[in-house]
Amino acid sequence: MASIIKGVDALLPLSLPLFHMLLSLTEGERHGYALKREILQRTDKRINLGSGALYGAINKMLEQGLIVESDERPDPHLDDERRRYYRITPLGRRVVHAEAARLRALLQLAEVRLGIPDPV
Amino acid sequence: MIDVTKLYRKLLRLYPASFRQEYEGAMDRHFRDEQRDAQGWKENVGLWTHALSDVAISAPRELVREFGQDLRFALRVYWRRPLSAVIAIGTLAFAIGASTGVFSVTSALLLRTLPFGDASRLVELRFSPFSAGNGHANFAEWRNHSSYLENAATFSTSEMNLNSGRDALRVRVTETSANLFSLLDVQAQLGRTFVPEEDRTGKNHVIVISHRLWQQAYGGNPSLIGSVAHLDGAALTIIGVAPSRFDYPGNVDVWAPTVFDFEVIPKHGAFIWQTIGRLRSGISISQARQEFKADVAHVNPKSFRPDNSPIPELIGLRDQLSSQIRASVLILSSVVLLVLLTALANVAQLLLSRTAERHRELALRSALGASRSRLIQQLTVEAAALTMSGAALGMIVALLVARVAGAVMPAQLATQDYTLLDWHVLCFAIALALITGFAFGIMPTWLIGRIQPSTQVARMHFGTSEPVTSSLRAVLVGLQVAFTLTLLVSSFTIGSAFLRLVHTDLGFQPANAVTLKVSLEGTRYQVGSAKWQYYSAVEERLRSIPGVKAVGAVNYLPLSNSVLMAGTIQMESGPKVSGVVLNGSMPGYFRAMGSELIAGRDFGFDLSNSPEPPVIVNEAFARESGFGPNIVGRRIIAPWTSRPYLVAGIVSTARMAGPEYEGGPQAYWPVKEEPPSALTFVASVSGDPRHYLTQCRDAVVGLDRSVPVYEVKTLDQSLSETMERPRFYTTSVLFLAALALLIAVAGVYSTSARAITQREHELGVRIALGASMQQIRTLILRQGTIPVAFGILAGIAGAAGCGHFLQHLFVGINVSGVMSFIVPSLFLLLIAVGTAWSATTRVLTIDPIEAIRAEH
Repeated sequence: MASIIKGVDALLPLSLPLFHMLLSLTEGERHGYALKREILQRTDKRINLGSGALYGAINKMLEQGLIVESDERPDPHLDDERRRYYRITPLGRRVVHAEAARLRALLQLAEVRLGIPDPV
Repeated sequence: MIDVTKLYRKLLRLYPASFRQEYEGAMDRHFRDEQRDAQGWKENVGLWTHALSDVAISAPRELVREFGQDLRFALRVYWRRPLSAVIAIGTLAFAIGASTGVFSVTSALLLRTLPFGDASRLVELRFSPFSAGNGHANFAEWRNHSSYLENAATFSTSEMNLNSGRDALRVRVTETSANLFSLLDVQAQLGRTFVPEEDRTGKNHVIVISHRLWQQAYGGNPSLIGSVAHLDGAALTIIGVAPSRFDYPGNVDVWAPTVFDFEVIPKHGAFIWQTIGRLRSGISISQARQEFKADVAHVNPKSFRPDNSPIPELIGLRDQLSSQIRASVLILSSVVLLVLLTALANVAQLLLSRTAERHRELALRSALGASRSRLIQQLTVEAAALTMSGAALGMIVALLVARVAGAVMPAQLATQDYTLLDWHVLCFAIALALITGFAFGIMPTWLIGRIQPSTQVARMHFGTSEPVTSSLRAVLVGLQVAFTLTLLVSSFTIGSAFLRLVHTDLGFQPANAVTLKVSLEGTRYQVGSAKWQYYSAVEERLRSIPGVKAVGAVNYLPLSNSVLMAGTIQMESGPKVSGVVLNGSMPGYFRAMGSELIAGRDFGFDLSNSPEPPVIVNEAFARESGFGPNIVGRRIIAPWTSRPYLVAGIVSTARMAGPEYEGGPQAYWPVKEEPPSALTFVASVSGDPRHYLTQCRDAVVGLDRSVPVYEVKTLDQSLSETMERPRFYTTSVLFLAALALLIAVAGVYSTSARAITQREHELGVRIALGASMQQIRTLILRQGTIPVAFGILAGIAGAAGCGHFLQHLFVGINVSGVMSFIVPSLFLLLIAVGTAWSATTRVLTIDPIEAIRAEH
């Protein structure tokens, strides 16, 4: 267990695109382009992942065991066999949780230091 | 219309193989989706800008990541078999290092520009119609009206005595027209160089000194500007110090603008004029050459007489400076190239063996889905890691080689201040490493093309004979043997020529002799009988040193690089002898030199009781006169006095320029008759002559400190300086041939050894069926010897083809001898057979039962 926690810590902090991608995948399986669209929308077009950056990040997360490729495919006439679908792993979930917790702690520290009032 | 998605797919080729294999389809799909969603030309432009910047950022990142992985994998592969990796890296390091080192000298000599402004337009005019001898006005007239030269300078260089208040020094002085520095576009480091009118009478009492002389004689004192120095007694003002990197025309200590006014510094003897010029812009060398020849023909038609008179020529200054050793440098570069090729063939063979050994691993990976380009990338990275490490280590070897080669070879390059290892050389080494890495990347690729996953995996449990790699390896061994034999023949030829040089009879005995020079120019002994009194005193002082056996003196000492003046001498009865070097000697000179007096006698000190002055000729003179030994007692007419001289004796012919060159005819007259202003003394001593150097120098300096005593050394030292070049070439070629031999032997050994491992199963069956160990060994040996035999044949052809180039290295190299082919061939064959035989001892360790069982 200790080694998993240590493993999780070693993967932090996540880069912003990685965090967004993992966050999207917690809601269900996605293919690459769907991930890109979702992140684009969610960040108000601020994070626009090109295919190289996207698949580079996917490749990295696959290697780290944060995601796996999914075997389940949608209805064949809706699908293109070249599309790749990905699913988050339990390790991926722990990592994205840990990152969220880290960000929250950081935010709380900032609120205290800067005296930002809690939203009412 | 352009298919934009096709264009995008092309862009995807920038990604590394593995990444592309995995995501190419998905990325292509991704791009099509983006394209579908983009509306209007603005969004389409945005899409492409984004896609391009995405590729530009992510492709290098993925390349680095994947190559990192490949590199780690390569290191693990090499770590498992470290010995062959170490051998390959070592071989490459030596080969790349040696080539780079020699290239650094070649590049310094032949490729780089001279340290003069716009050096490519500088030319030397050999036998120009106008030298300083024509006088200032004529020279200026010719220069200003030249159609091909923008400017020209003329100069003459000689040795003089410099007296600046302390001990007198012997220095090399270039007397020049005032524009030499401005022509070469060189500024003074301290003070100034000459201004235009300073080569006119009355204004030319100024000098510029070299940086070296400034440091050595003046301790780098900046306040010397304006001080007075005496050159051969003439008082001249120092106006500047030349920059340290400037040394033209070579080994110069002082420049003086007195070339049109030779009366400023008193002169004796003949001079050699040199003229250099700067071409007008837009005029090519060949154009200038034609105009120059027309110029010479117009001014001086005699220059084109069909006899031996020198032919006028205009050549680039760089070519002129490098001409003497250009051929040698190119030959050495070729020799090094042969070693490099041997090494590359060897490493290629090694890598090929390794790839063949890993055939199964690669086939398995291919069957598991690795693409061909993925495997090629892996093998290329492995090869590149090997060559790059080899090249990095090779830089250290290059540094050593360059230092040695630079120290010994280009003495003439003192003119050029250059660093041996600069970016040219670095680029050369990197290119060499890249080419070899690429070549070794290509070869395994070619093999992979032949890997058929299905058949290879199916055949995994059977011995593979790999006919392609085997024959390719045989070719590589053949090549190594051929290159090595070419080198062995060269080293045999050059080595025997060197031995011949060492054993050449010089006409004198260089052991046990000390030599030193004195010059009386500008001293108080210069006039009248004072000269002879001084020389007699030197002779007496040297003779009184304990251990000195004989003392003599001469005008021109052998091995001293003096410029010899030759003339024609008329026999009183009989023919003329031409090309005779007139040399003056003091009694005892021949005895001190160990020259053999073949007939007659030496001069005595007292010439008063002979009615005719005596002269001694050498054997070559006696032979060419047609009289042979009977010349003694005959008379010659001396061209310098037109008086008859009596031939008193014949002495053995001295090789003046060292063992490489035959000695010509010489006549020695007694120097007492008309003492020259400089003489070289020789003292033969008992025991090691080096122990006498200081003693002899001090004895002569003690006589009068204002007379410079210089070039105090042993005759052996002079001989070894003359032999420096031949010795360097011989050592380098021998060393490089030995290196190639070592590499080739390793190649032969590994092929034979590999043939056994590869065929262990088959050999096991043969043994089980009753073949004796000797029969098996003979079988392997026969197969191993075939490529060696072919290599030897190719090597003989190669050596015969390029052997004659060697003759440019030094005189006496003769490649036509059959022995120079037979001996190295037999030597190489013997070594190769011995190596292959010793490799076959592995056969003895084969257990037939194990060998057969292991394959099933």
